[in-house]
Amino acid sequence: MRLLLAAVLLAAAAGACGRENMPASIQEARAKHEARLMAQPGVVSVGIGRDADGTEVIVVGLDRERPETRAALPRDLDGYRVRVQIIGSVRAR
Amino acid sequence: MNGDLDTARSTLRQVSRELLARPNVTATGVGYKMSGGRRTKTLSIVCSVVRKLPASALAAGDLVPATIQGVPTDVVETGRIRALQAPTGRFRPAPGGVSIGHRDITAGTLGCLVRKGGQTFILSNNHVLADSNAAQIGDPILQPGPFDGGSLATDHIANLEAFVPITFLAPEPPSECPFARAVIAALNAGCQVIGSQTRYRIVSLQAQDNLVDAAIARPLSAADVRDEILGIGSIQGTAQGTLGMAVKKSGRTTGVTTGEILQVDVTVDVQYGAGQVARFTDQLLAGAMSQGGDSGSAVLEGGNRLVGLLFAGSDVTTIINRIEHVFSALGVTR
Repeated sequence: MRLLLAAVLLAAAAGACGRENMPASIQEARAKHEARLMAQPGVVSVGIGRDADGTEVIVVGLDRERPETRAALPRDLDGYRVRVQIIGSVRAR
Repeated sequence: MNGDLDTARSTLRQVSRELLARPNVTATGVGYKMSGGRRTKTLSIVCSVVRKLPASALAAGDLVPATIQGVPTDVVETGRIRALQAPTGRFRPAPGGVSIGHRDITAGTLGCLVRKGGQTFILSNNHVLADSNAAQIGDPILQPGPFDGGSLATDHIANLEAFVPITFLAPEPPSECPFARAVIAALNAGCQVIGSQTRYRIVSLQAQDNLVDAAIARPLSAADVRDEILGIGSIQGTAQGTLGMAVKKSGRTTGVTTGEILQVDVTVDVQYGAGQVARFTDQLLAGAMSQGGDSGSAVLEGGNRLVGLLFAGSDVTTIINRIEHVFSALGVTR
């Protein structure tokens, strides 16, 4: 009986750990890092796009060329590639 | 062969006026007779009609005879023929894709018609129909918009019915608020008095994000609006925009253009002039398919299903609200 209880607890603990270590989806990764990315100087957008090879990537939009911001941005986030793109200022039309 | 063409042309010259006098006939010309959907080698006098009707439904005098002076005739259905008109012009009834605007703005685009409580409304952006929150409910909406010559006396088409307010990012840190500073100072003084180690400080709340830039206007008469989109046609329901989807729009400035959804889940800061910036979340991003004045355009996928409402852009992008957010924020349907 005691052994059974221990087994159940162990399984539950393993399950919980498993969930914590599960890789986040690209949507979760984008949402998690959005505020930090948007706070960088010149960043106007953060979205999910596709690379030329079809892989989903996190796309960071800049208002103009910004070498310092570019250097400060991560190459990937939670295992997803980050692409930096100059999109210019976005205005209501 | 040339003889047949000359005969048909001279016969048509004699009778075209008489043919065009028949109620259903909108155009006449000389062309090869169609039979079973295929072109034959027989030259004929072609009468275009709004709708093809059975002979029994027409008065004998309104029927196009099978032959005229020995020349065979053909009847083809072409619908009502309209002059090709620039979207900046005055349209009655007005379809989607044409110029529209609140009396205090320049001009934007009439998106499409939507339904609410059994009534029909015009859908466009808040910054087109409600002057970026500055308008009053009931304000007049002009078609075409003021920049395109629309005036209250002759072009008043609708009244502002409702809009989703746009929340702008605070231009200054709210910690400048003297009231907040006074309250905090009092609280901290109190803490000191009772010997508590706790101290309060001002935290500025993050401005609320926006999902849509949208508004509706009530047409003065249902006969003044048309449930289709200029250059695109009728809308076939709605769909969810997805990455890679091919889309199109019809707008006041650039007319019908096409593009592709290049990004989804987009958070973007949008400038509204006068230094105002608003943050939008869960937007669709397409390539360069719009210019100033195209705001409010309905965005559709290949099968004419509605996926979004165009409202902003840069030199290389176009930003689109998801139609599901627009509909739920305004409580409207198609």
